[in-house]
Amino acid sequence: MKVTTDRFRQTALEELANARTQKFLQILPLRLSARRQEAYGSFSDPEAAHRLGQAIRGEALARLPELLETFERNALANGAKIFWAADSQAANRYIADLARSKGARYVTKGKSMITEELGLNDHLAQCGISAWETDLGEFIAQLLEKPPFHIVGPAINIPVEQIRDIFLEKGVLDQPTLDPVTLGRAARRFLRDKFRDLQMGITGVNIAVAETGTVINVENEGNIRFNKSAPKTLVCVMSLEKVVPTLADALHQLRVLCRSATGQAAGAYISLDSGPKKADETDGPEELHIVILDNGRSAIYQNRHTREALRCIRCGACLNACPVYGKVGGYPYGWAYSGPMGQVLTPALRGLAETGDLIRACTLCHRCKTICPAGIDHPGLLLHYRNKDVQADPLLQGRGADPRERLAHRLFALAGSRYTYWRIFSKVLSRAARLFGKGAMLRGLGPLGRGWFLSRDLPAPAKKSFHERWRQRKD
Amino acid sequence: MVLNAREEILARLKSAPPASVAGRPELPPAREMALDAGQLAARFEEQLAAQGGIAMHAADETALLAKLEEILRQESVSRAMAATDAVLAPLALESWGQQVGIEIVTPSAFSDRDGYTRAVFDQVQAGITGADFAVAESGTLVLVHDELQPRLVSLAPLVHIAVVPRARIVPTYEAAILSLFDGRRPSQVTLITGPSMTADIQATPFKGMHGPQKLFVLLLG
Repeated sequence: MKVTTDRFRQTALEELANARTQKFLQILPLRLSARRQEAYGSFSDPEAAHRLGQAIRGEALARLPELLETFERNALANGAKIFWAADSQAANRYIADLARSKGARYVTKGKSMITEELGLNDHLAQCGISAWETDLGEFIAQLLEKPPFHIVGPAINIPVEQIRDIFLEKGVLDQPTLDPVTLGRAARRFLRDKFRDLQMGITGVNIAVAETGTVINVENEGNIRFNKSAPKTLVCVMSLEKVVPTLADALHQLRVLCRSATGQAAGAYISLDSGPKKADETDGPEELHIVILDNGRSAIYQNRHTREALRCIRCGACLNACPVYGKVGGYPYGWAYSGPMGQVLTPALRGLAETGDLIRACTLCHRCKTICPAGIDHPGLLLHYRNKDVQADPLLQGRGADPRERLAHRLFALAGSRYTYWRIFSKVLSRAARLFGKGAMLRGLGPLGRGWFLSRDLPAPAKKSFHERWRQRKD
Repeated sequence: MVLNAREEILARLKSAPPASVAGRPELPPAREMALDAGQLAARFEEQLAAQGGIAMHAADETALLAKLEEILRQESVSRAMAATDAVLAPLALESWGQQVGIEIVTPSAFSDRDGYTRAVFDQVQAGITGADFAVAESGTLVLVHDELQPRLVSLAPLVHIAVVPRARIVPTYEAAILSLFDGRRPSQVTLITGPSMTADIQATPFKGMHGPQKLFVLLLG
């Protein structure tokens, strides 16, 4: 997957002008938010349930190293194999070597953001192994080489004509049709052939349970269950923050995850795997490999601010709440994670060098923070990133402030330091505003501050300042 | 190399400044805890229906088999695969199938895994299973997969029929699942809430994306 976080602005402008995108954005986030709200009503105390979910994630992070060791011990006792991957390369190499050693010509994948983060499909392709996405939305997005539009509906915005054409081109469909259900059935048949003869399946992990060494996946289609049941080798890739202390914690987190993601009390299928199949069992993997991925997470864990991004459970509720996502959709975020989730995760994982627009595409309205079942303070974290960016923080690869912006701030500080300076400054500014302003709003100052005014305006300053009017008062 | 990555990752995590563990809010008991057996069954059905599953009642084994035959005929099933778990074994579905003229095969009839896989993917139109629990809070079936309950029987065929004795209906996940992990580790436990579904093309919802298009739950007793 191509990373296009540095093209946020251009992609956002394209998407703002895309009528189809706008149509979906007017419906999808609102509908999902309403469903979530309704689903939370089934809790005996929705607010307490929300806070318990947040507390579980908080405790999971606070106890992370200990929980990972416990998880590893129990998963090994269950008969799973554990591979600790320092980065994408290590994880990709391990998975490709495994596929090769099993003689797999192709693998299938359950929907997982983590393998998108790894760029696993591209790596496997380079090794001569095809990787098939099996979630319908991901399958379409993969064929069209598009990033996910929404975490819950990765290709929900794609016109049926485009799906028909790509399905015909790739041999998924025989007869042209524009019926979504017929298109879905064609994908079912195509992928069913892959599942039947599958050597190795790959899934992500929604929750890992320390006390039992169990990995849990949530889905609606059944493709993850096929990946976990049909082949003799199964690889589950988990980012290291997925672990929670107990099975009871996992059950509660499942409740908030399903409600937050799709407004369901439960996804159609939730599978809990503790080790490979037992010798006398008919199906299921003979080998279960669990890849624990770091990829920069242990580094951001050092900082108590950036660590907070690791609370995320990938439900997508923040996308539906976000006024910016609600206008631009998922593509501008340029990587596996979109919306506020992406705005806190992507800079933490990829640094600030190419994510400067991501951390600023936020009005600090706090809706994501309020709705987040994991307890992330997105706006606080974005302010932290902005600070690290202008400070040129080496760990996060901050770019440093623009010299012109720094100069503007210096001059502004100087102007505010003495009354006489301030009077001159406000006089000049108000003249300039009258010169460039049109009507009641100020939308630019000629050559000055073009970037600032690109997405902002100001009420035009009054002709006379308060102080001038005070001096001229008649009483 | 492999060992190093593990040690390095854990060492970095351990060297991070410690964070305190905040207290957890008290949750009032789930609403389902206050329901009697009849209300629990009603709640289960209502939640299952919300996800597109169909619940039916059968007072005894005879009524159950009649319902089963009705469903299989209605869905034009000529061949079905049945698990041999503790709920289904006493029903002797293979011989029952011979009497009513619907072929019922069991996973153990296949000498190797490949034969079983081909059959469950391509040669049967329905999968029949018992269930270890039915959870009222979300209308969810709990299946513990073991040698008597293979995974694909409830997944690969287009119709899934599950038989659940009413005594197995419990209020919450905790009541069903925590005991399953008490001193043992089932290789896989699956929670099933409705048929396979998607809305990934143009937000058009439909059932049977990869797994069953229809889920019938026969409540026995």
